[in-house]
Formats: sequence, structure tokens, C-alpha cells
Amino acid sequence: MLKSSKLLSHQSPARSGRAGLSALVFLAGFALAAPASADTGTATQNVSVVLNSAGKVSVPAGFSLAATGTTFNAYLGALTVSYRFRTAPSGSGSITLRAGADFSPGGGPAISSGALLYTCGGAGLGTPCSGAQTVSTASSTGVVQIPGGVCTGGGGSCSVSDPATVQLQFTLDNSPQFQTGGYSSSLTVTVSTL
Amino acid sequence: MRHLTTFLVLAGMLLFALNAGAQPFGPTGTTTINVTVAAEASLYINDSSTSLTGGPLFADYTGTTNFTYKIRTSQGSGTGTITSLVTADFSPPGGPSVANPPTPGNTLAYTCNVSAPATSCSGSQTSSTTVAQPVASFGSNARSARPGNSGQVNWTLTNDPQYQTNSYSATVTFTVSAT
Repeated sequence: MLKSSKLLSHQSPARSGRAGLSALVFLAGFALAAPASADTGTATQNVSVVLNSAGKVSVPAGFSLAATGTTFNAYLGALTVSYRFRTAPSGSGSITLRAGADFSPGGGPAISSGALLYTCGGAGLGTPCSGAQTVSTASSTGVVQIPGGVCTGGGGSCSVSDPATVQLQFTLDNSPQFQTGGYSSSLTVTVSTL
Repeated sequence: MRHLTTFLVLAGMLLFALNAGAQPFGPTGTTTINVTVAAEASLYINDSSTSLTGGPLFADYTGTTNFTYKIRTSQGSGTGTITSLVTADFSPPGGPSVANPPTPGNTLAYTCNVSAPATSCSGSQTSSTTVAQPVASFGSNARSARPGNSGQVNWTLTNDPQYQTNSYSATVTFTVSAT
């Protein structure tokens, strides 16, 4: 929020109307060309800004899981989450993940049965989730916890990189019971700040 | 000026390439997760070795090999098979042989007992060192249980007086496939 709190100025008297405007332009040009002029004015403006806690996130439009190794090994895939944060000294933030819907069409893996897990890699800012998280369609699970008084980019108490990133490694159960075919679901990553 | 324009164009293209697929920053981000579930099959022999026992009085040697299979065949036109092939004939020489038995007609034969969704091999099959022999077959959209399904091969080896007394061993390789 930008707020102009005070404006004080002093300028030479000028005639009214067009002639006055011309004189003002002339004086302004003179002042720029000859800063040592005796006819000076002082303008003071106090500007204050309130920076609220904020966060935003970006993810790729899509990503794929692929079978690896021997038969019926789990499907694996990675999702990189990019984020920007600024938290108040007494505030905090978080990034969470939730499935918008189960895999479709039916007959394949089911998020509702706990088939999709993820772990968090190192986070550019904040503390990543610890251990395997089970993706749910009913509730959100943690990705990154952001402490108070930090921001993205610039170093110091802020992250070095802007945006910061965290990579999620997904594991999807590969059961013989799944019918062959292509399946897809949507995941929503959400930021929140306090 | 021309070099600057070229530089800016290239920089813009590089930036676009780096951000390909990424979405704008916002309070939420939604991504689509995709997976393709393909036909797969695996097989595990439960017993590290199978002993054939026979006699007395020249009764054939018999034994059973137990295995567990997992399979997922494609919908529509998918199929699957389990086969056996003697990849190493009995050794040392002087005893039974799949490829060159001392008496014509001596065989290492087997019957199959494989649980659904498999269809077990029909009747008695004669083992071969050159051609894989059927153990089970699967149709389209065949899917085993998560821990796998069971199967058995029941062996019968001719007990020929021509065999020299000794211990003999052969290697049989089972192969499972799915499309």
C-alpha cells in the first residue's frame, strides 16, 4: 500500500493563465540547466509502504509418472514447485498439496486408496515436508513450512534464488489389478500466509 | 543496434524455453498428473530347487515346482503366456536326458495346475531343450491378485534301468510374458 502523507512546496510567484504556465516551464527548465541558481524550491514527500505477508506458487501444467526397473515396480515422477514468499516477523506461511480428483477413468490407480505418495527434496526457502506424504482428495498435506521474517531472493534472511523451488518425488502403486490404459488426475498446490 | 536486437530476441527465446510448461505465479497452482499403465508380467519360483523322487521298482520319478505369477494383460487384444524350457540338460552324463535319452521315449513330462485368471496347459506336456512348452495362457484384461497368483508344475521323469546310479540335475527356465 502506497500512501502520500505530506506534500510541502515553495515556488516563485507567477502570473496567472497561459503566461504563468509558460513562466513556470521556463523556470523549471532554467533550474535543471543551472542548479546553482539562487531561485530554488524545496519539495518534500514522505512515502511509506506497508508490505503485507504474501506468497505465490507456480507449477508445470502437467507431469508424468513412469514405470521403472523391474515389473510391477512403482511408477515414479517428479514435480518442481516454484514459489515466492514474504512473511512478517511474527508470521508464517505454508505450501500444501491436495488432489482435486481421483485418477480417471476408473479401473486404474486410486488416490483415495492411498496409492499416491510423495516426498519433498530440499527447499530453497523454508522447511520441506519430512517423510512420505500420502496424497488425499479430502485434505491437504504439507509441502513446505515458511517461517516468519523471510522472503524470496536477495540472500541474507531471504533465499538466494528467486523463485525458490522444492522438488516433490511421487510414487504411485503399481498393482496387477490395474487395467491397462492412461490415467490422469489433478493436483492443486496452495500457498497460505499468516 | 542490430546486434542488440538479435541478442534480445535470442534472450527472449531462451527465457520462453526455460519457462515452457510453467504456469504463472498465483495463490494456487494446478498440475495434471499422468500415468500410463501398461501390460506387465513377472514370475517367482517359490522353491530354489525341485527334487524328483521315484521307485521302488522303477516307478517314475515325480516332483512339484511351485511358482507365483503376477500379470496384467492389455484390454482388447492382450494375451499372456507362461512357458517352460530346459535350458540345461541333465548332468553328469550317464543318466536321464531331455535331448538325448538313453532309451527313445524317455521323457521329462509335466502337467500344470495354474490358478485363474490363467488357463492351465492341457494334458501332459513333454519338456524340450529347444522349444518352450506351454504352462499357462491368458486372455485380454487378465489381472492377477496384488500379491500374485499360484501355479504348479507336476513333473514326471521316466525311470529307466539304463540310468547309472548317481544324482543328476537339469535347469528349467520358466518365462512369463504379457501384451
